[in-house]
Amino acid sequence: MTTADITAATSASSARTVPRGLVPASVVLGGTLLSLIGLTWDIQWHSDVGPDTFFTMPHLFLYAGSAISGLASLAVVLLTTANAKRDREVDPLVGGRAVAVLGRTFAAPVGYLVSGTGAALFLVYGLWDQWWHGLYGFDAVIDSPPHIGLLLSISITMVGAVMIFAVARDRGWGVYGVAGAAGTLLAFSMVTVLGLRALPGGPVNTVNAGSAFFSVMILFMGAHVLNRRGGALAVGVVVAVLQAVFWWFSPWATEVYADATGLPLRDYVDGVPGLPNMIPMSLVLVAVVVELLRGLPAWATGAAGGVIITALAPVQRMITYGAGFPNAERYVATVVAGAVFGALAGMLGRRFGHMLRHLAPAKEDRHA
Amino acid sequence: MRKTLLALAGTAALLFGLTSPALAFEPVNVVHTEKVQAGPYDLTIGFSTWPVKAMQSLDFTFAPENGVDGKKGTLTLFREGVEADDSPLARHPRKREVWGLDIFALPEQGSWSMKFDVDGPAGPGSGELKNLQVMEQPGPPMGLSWAISTIPLFGLIALIVIAWRRTRTVVD
Repeated sequence: MTTADITAATSASSARTVPRGLVPASVVLGGTLLSLIGLTWDIQWHSDVGPDTFFTMPHLFLYAGSAISGLASLAVVLLTTANAKRDREVDPLVGGRAVAVLGRTFAAPVGYLVSGTGAALFLVYGLWDQWWHGLYGFDAVIDSPPHIGLLLSISITMVGAVMIFAVARDRGWGVYGVAGAAGTLLAFSMVTVLGLRALPGGPVNTVNAGSAFFSVMILFMGAHVLNRRGGALAVGVVVAVLQAVFWWFSPWATEVYADATGLPLRDYVDGVPGLPNMIPMSLVLVAVVVELLRGLPAWATGAAGGVIITALAPVQRMITYGAGFPNAERYVATVVAGAVFGALAGMLGRRFGHMLRHLAPAKEDRHA
Repeated sequence: MRKTLLALAGTAALLFGLTSPALAFEPVNVVHTEKVQAGPYDLTIGFSTWPVKAMQSLDFTFAPENGVDGKKGTLTLFREGVEADDSPLARHPRKREVWGLDIFALPEQGSWSMKFDVDGPAGPGSGELKNLQVMEQPGPPMGLSWAISTIPLFGLIALIVIAWRRTRTVVD
């Protein structure tokens, strides 16, 4: 009888057209993609056109991205809470193990708790940003403190999305989702690192060193949570696809929106897509190196990745902007920093990947 | 499914419909002007707030007598005599008949100057607005603003520390 019950349950679940957990996970990931689209569009709008209000389309994409991810996270937390209170079984494949929040008021799957917290923080930092603009004016400085707070809040939602998909790393949709969510987080982080301009770096270009650190770390994290050949390359390809699509989309959407609102482009627009050009084009090369040198310790491949990114960043700017090459001292110092931070990022990314692997539900028959 | 799609389409239409009229941009209000003689060209420099404070953004307008047509030039900014920035003189996006900088902030307090190199029908000419005093930045100290803004980062680090301590074993 017991066997018959188990068989019935298995066949019923296999008959489902959409795997359990995929829908809310996709909505959260979709929300983070909307945030990324809004950000690339907004950066291009400010550089190519200029005039700004609270309600521009790029801003609405940014707000909608966090709202959609946040509402999906809230819905999952409320459903899980309802199931826990009725002593119904909670499927750990939906966002991971449920943790008690505010005593036992809520039972929140840990992935959705993180993504939802990021969305809630976005609202708080939106208020902080409004206050800031009231005091300092409605400037378009991307790396003002409140803007970095907003970008960090969205990043937390993106980390939640990685966690949500990492729970299902044994399923096909989990694998693709981890690559997609990690790639989105990586592309987005290349803007957040602009906040590092506020740090004194001496001869080191802090933004280039920071880009190397975060891109190597997230690449390694994705590779190690998937723990299979091609994992790093999958994340690198997702980032390259986002970069290529935004290279076309950002100036195009900006021009279409300017035409629709009757606004002219600025004089002397350089035509270089802003956000896509912040993403290192060398990342695919780093991903290939990581794949080829899988046997080496993470710090060694991480250092190699950091060197590749910092060494080629000025070359990318020379090609795209026609910028001059930095002086030798600054270049060497930044590449050395890239090696050191790359090594650290390799080790951290590997460890974070292992941490994320713990999120998947334990299986008695894992060895089978 | 069809209802959901209709609702989504309706929401999108509302969003698009409502945002276009909402795009009413603030006009450029000049509250203070200065004069600069750049060779044969009379320039009027306009400020949308006065006095200028560090990090506080405002609209700058640079209006040559007889308009910008047929003229071009470069603006170079100096802080305490050291070059801080240079850019071609571009029309102001919200006041296209003059050159300008839209919602632009001078980052630090001190004595700034603006040098204009203009070329036009009457030949090239240069002029400078000297001793533009930029006051102390308003608001809380930057350290405090950064501390408030990086709370999510430190929250994330705390989460990582907790997760690190609970996941010492490696799972397959």
